Amino acid sequence: MASSGAFRGVGAFSYTEFYVQAHEYLSIATSLVVQVILLIFVRILAPDLLGVALLGSILFSVFALGQRVQNEAAYIRIDHKLNELYLASPLAPESYFVGFSVGILAAYLLPIAALVVATVLLVGMTAFTAAVLVAAAAAIWVITCSIGYIVSTLFRDMRAIWPYASLFYNLFGVLPPVFYPIGLLSGSLRTAALLVPPSAAAAIVQWSVHPSVLAPGELLLAALALAVESVALFALGVVWSRRSARES
Amino acid sequence: MADLALRAENVRKVYDRRGAPPTTALQGVSLVVRPGERVALLGRNGAGKTTFLKIAATLLAPTSGSVEVFGVDVDRRPEEVRPLIAVVPQEGKPFFHLTPREQVYTYLLARGFARAEAKRRTDDALAQMALEEVADRLSVTLSGGQRQRTMVATVIATEAPLLFLDEPTIGMDPFARRAVWASLRTLSKKGSTILLTTHYLDEAEALSDRLYIIEHGKVLVDGTAQSLKRDTGGSLRVSIAGGAGLSGSFASFGRTFPEAGALDVITTPERLPELLAVAVRLGLSTTVGPVTLEEAFLRVVGRSIDEDT
Ligand SMILES: Nc1ncnc2c1ncn2[C@@H]1O[C@H](COP(=O)(O)OP(=O)(O)OP(=O)(O)O)[C@@H](O)[C@H]1O
Ligand SMILES: [Mg+2]
Repeated sequence: MASSGAFRGVGAFSYTEFYVQAHEYLSIATSLVVQVILLIFVRILAPDLLGVALLGSILFSVFALGQRVQNEAAYIRIDHKLNELYLASPLAPESYFVGFSVGILAAYLLPIAALVVATVLLVGMTAFTAAVLVAAAAAIWVITCSIGYIVSTLFRDMRAIWPYASLFYNLFGVLPPVFYPIGLLSGSLRTAALLVPPSAAAAIVQWSVHPSVLAPGELLLAALALAVESVALFALGVVWSRRSARES
Repeated sequence: MADLALRAENVRKVYDRRGAPPTTALQGVSLVVRPGERVALLGRNGAGKTTFLKIAATLLAPTSGSVEVFGVDVDRRPEEVRPLIAVVPQEGKPFFHLTPREQVYTYLLARGFARAEAKRRTDDALAQMALEEVADRLSVTLSGGQRQRTMVATVIATEAPLLFLDEPTIGMDPFARRAVWASLRTLSKKGSTILLTTHYLDEAEALSDRLYIIEHGKVLVDGTAQSLKRDTGGSLRVSIAGGAGLSGSFASFGRTFPEAGALDVITTPERLPELLAVAVRLGLSTTVGPVTLEEAFLRVVGRSIDEDT
């Protein structure tokens, strides 16, 4: 571990947060409830869409990690005041933000891996799709955790966060084509879907299975959107974590 | 190293948040803490103690004024200050899903200690806070005082050069409070500097080399417990039962304070016999004891530290 500079202490704080989260096995175990119910519906009502829905459920699960980062960081700050313990210390403020993100990802990796296994078993997955899926999921993780941490610093009351969180994560995670094919949308809705991170990621992953679902320009747009959004939001998250380490 | 552990100059803080009228929490606080000193901030609820501590600990921006920690400006170079400090937040709680042992140990790792050193310090801090029996239970199952002891253990284990403790012994039993005092004394002998807030006057007296009394965001006075007590004008407190309305009869013996139906008179040993004679003549019973910080606080602030506003 680096003894000075940016990201100091990030390994240790990630480990701490993973350790904390790992005790919440009930929450880890129930993290797939919505996804599994949706998959059952799809299996019954539109079995030919099962592959799309399975890949979408993986991306949605990664996207939902941001909500956990947000709730955990807000709870630890508002209820436990542990931000004061950790921020007034040699731990870099950006390590505090990244530590929540890495720790929560590590704790919830098992259910996400279970969805990957289910996908491989039920519909199969090429190595190419697997590689695209990992890259797209990584971008979603960076984006959602950055937003989650930034938003966590904006609230002064836990109860005020809940309605906002459920609106945000369902609006962006379920409404756009994540669980259903991008092909169902056309015109400006389709363009918008290619810009919204979860559906952009889903479109790219769908493209890796059926290249015909996206025109080359659309693929470029979605990939560029994801890349720009993840770099920009991560940079913002780092800057924000440093600035918000001191309240004004 | 700079010759002062902490120097605050004219620190002002106005909280200006949406949905609330602006609140002036600090109106020009200046104070100094020398290396190795234990200093207490005393003040009633809302006096501004936590606000000051958070500003000094890089957690809150002042509206104006400056604070230096070991010569480094906390506002301009917080990243250089943070490795030098550790904070027990007011009403903080450990991670509920860590045990006290894990909380202290992982915190030390996050601060950059090597594992063996972190483990040694963890065992030591848990022992100092008498937490061994519950050290391997999740904090969610601990009592309030045990959680608070975990917070203190976490911070004293760092042996940081400057420790901020915001009401560190709140909710602790008398044994635990004394354990905290002992640990903090040991730490300052090893070279750490300590700034704490408290509502317990006995704690301030037992623990601090010096104290500042703060009221309405201003430092009213600073000094040692001894000097503040001396400034009350006497060394004895005579409590006269049922004497609340009789301050006129006793004013000549020293300062008088009505206290729950009784009258407290601060006087000197020389005047005591005469005072007692007056009380006997009026048929009032008296209790005599040494002057405490309570009287010093009353003299300075005009109200008791735990009187409702
Ligand atoms: N976040 C905030 N927003 C607005 N006003 C605040 C905020 N925090 C504190 N205040 C106000 O600033 C003043 C000082 O508060 P502070 O918490 O510093 O007092 P304190 O001396 O620590 O009190 P206590 O003994 O109750 O802990 C109070 O009037 C309080 O209402
Ligand atoms: Mg306070």
